[in-house]
Amino acid sequence: MAEYRKVKVSKGSGGWGGPLTIAPSDDRPIIACITGGGIHPVAQRIADLTGGEAFDAFKSTVKFDRMACAVIDCGGTARVGVYPMKGVMTIDVHPTSPAGPLARFITEDKFVSGVKPDNVEEV
Amino acid sequence: MTAGQVKYHSVVVSVGEMAEEFRSAGILVLFGEGVPEELADVSVVHRADTTTGGLAPGDVVVIRDERIEVLAVGDVANENLSNLGHLVLKRNGETAAALPGDVCATEGPLPALVPGDEITIVAPGGSR
Repeated sequence: MAEYRKVKVSKGSGGWGGPLTIAPSDDRPIIACITGGGIHPVAQRIADLTGGEAFDAFKSTVKFDRMACAVIDCGGTARVGVYPMKGVMTIDVHPTSPAGPLARFITEDKFVSGVKPDNVEEV
Repeated sequence: MTAGQVKYHSVVVSVGEMAEEFRSAGILVLFGEGVPEELADVSVVHRADTTTGGLAPGDVVVIRDERIEVLAVGDVANENLSNLGHLVLKRNGETAAALPGDVCATEGPLPALVPGDEITIVAPGGSR
């Protein structure tokens, strides 16, 4: 049994939503990074502080029901909606707001944007 | 053949179940192969064989019989395209990108894509 800790993730400059509490568990240990170009510093910081496992979802497969959260660098239309729709806490490093066909799934309790590593704090 | 330089050429591999929901809103969502399954559900997954340079206003996206002129390119759109084969094309007639990932284009229909269809992006120039 791994020991996990919680973090609070707040919106950054120009961002929207949150704050979210990210709490990995044995069922959901994965800090999924869906950004391309490796593990984003925001995902790495969440993993470092919580004890969760940072994971590059473009390199290998991870089921969304194993994700403690999804870190995305979405420009505002697709990824912003898909992960909240799947019930995954979603952290966008770009300052986006709900938009697009999936906007109805993007809610303050599931989504936060404009996040930089400094917006991730220990609880 | 289309005049101008081919910047990007790709072939459709699969079309997600929810891609139609985006298409009916005038939005084409592309992702390159290897995209996680939950994103493939909402997108057109493709395999690019030519990727030279990023998108710029004035470029033309050719899918099926439609020639779609690019009007505006968001700040992260080209980064998305080169990193992930990810493109969000909106036929909204806007000349400024409202969202950083947006590529805005002339208004008009977005053809439904099927596996095997080609996606070509052509830069203006040459004999037109």
